[in-house]
Amino acid sequence: MKFDTVEPGTWPELIHPPYKSTVKRGPLQPNLRIEAPVPVSQNIAATPRILLPHDTDLTAHGESEPLGEKIVVTGRVLDEDGKPVRNSLVEVWQCNSAGRYWHSRDQHAAPLDPNFYGLGKMLTDDDGRYRFVTIKPGPYPWGNHDKAWRPAHIHFSLFGNVYAQRLVTQMYFPSDPLFDYDPIFQSIPDEAARQRLVSRFSLEQTVGAEMLGYEFDIVLRGRNATPMGL
Amino acid sequence: MNDASHKITTSQTIGPFSHEAWKWATDATLPGNLKIEGPSILVGGVIHDGDGNPINDAQIEAWTPDGAAAEAEHAIPGFRRVPSGADGEFSMRVPLPQPATRGEPVMYVTVFARGLVKHQFTAVFLEDDTGLAQSAILNQVPEARRATLLARKTGDGQYHWDIWMQTEKETVFFDYA
Repeated sequence: MKFDTVEPGTWPELIHPPYKSTVKRGPLQPNLRIEAPVPVSQNIAATPRILLPHDTDLTAHGESEPLGEKIVVTGRVLDEDGKPVRNSLVEVWQCNSAGRYWHSRDQHAAPLDPNFYGLGKMLTDDDGRYRFVTIKPGPYPWGNHDKAWRPAHIHFSLFGNVYAQRLVTQMYFPSDPLFDYDPIFQSIPDEAARQRLVSRFSLEQTVGAEMLGYEFDIVLRGRNATPMGL
Repeated sequence: MNDASHKITTSQTIGPFSHEAWKWATDATLPGNLKIEGPSILVGGVIHDGDGNPINDAQIEAWTPDGAAAEAEHAIPGFRRVPSGADGEFSMRVPLPQPATRGEPVMYVTVFARGLVKHQFTAVFLEDDTGLAQSAILNQVPEARRATLLARKTGDGQYHWDIWMQTEKETVFFDYA
């Protein structure tokens, strides 16, 4: 595949002082753009055997139903030509409805839910689509500054069809009042690029009286994929 | 120019809480769970921030495309995922494709961490690879910075390679064209 340079303002700023831990962790040198055929033509092989029965239903990991608002999240993974990224591994993780992660380092004084771990993974289908059922995550404080609260989000990890498409990002929910105050979201200079991280409510994906639906399409870098997807 | 409807999705930090979700691949990476046919090497080091402090919540992924065939039974052949430890340390055992004198990376590496808003791609070469002078990748790297991509031999089948996010030792990170 071919990887064009990314338009200025699209990637977040590697050094973004309002997000304090970027200051000593973001590389200071620009990425070195190189020609290397392997990363743009091959990838790790993700097969269905890595998937577990309830990996796409995060509400089915406990002995009973988790607390909170049950939702379904779905979307298509595409490349820059708009072609579906098929058979591609997607991992998701998130906090529970009270804003607490199932993680030893999360010390937020909100309750864990014994029926919710917030971990999932799946492969995209022939249309590039993924779909999983979960609980709407809550906002949570993170200590970066006074009254630092993250907007509700779900973490996404994507492997694409070639190695250089690898991406980790976060999906947000529409009309979150915390967007303006979140230095992680605001580390992305381009307003349109920020808005592409916001899912949209979908009546079409809503499932009867069971759960509301949210759509979140993802466009990975790369164009001119070969007909077989590699 | 791209069609406006297919502008890329941008990146966000992995944050500090990825470990449970990423554990399935970390577990598959543990040496006891690997079945590598043929020679392999252990590559280990420490990931440092701009003050030289260890980064204890990074995730390091490695990919050895030429080695995937040697471990077809693996959950994801040729793939490794290791969270950095309390002292920023990491290590992984990877297949060593033959001949090992090719000027090719022994592993392609992707780095994630809290405070790193976009993953960083890099690659590791072995210092005793006699093909380094002909390396198509290294020859695109300014000479003064090439050493940041070389793993130092510390013993039989053992190599040391550190990651530096900043300072004069800053690792070369790539944008693949």
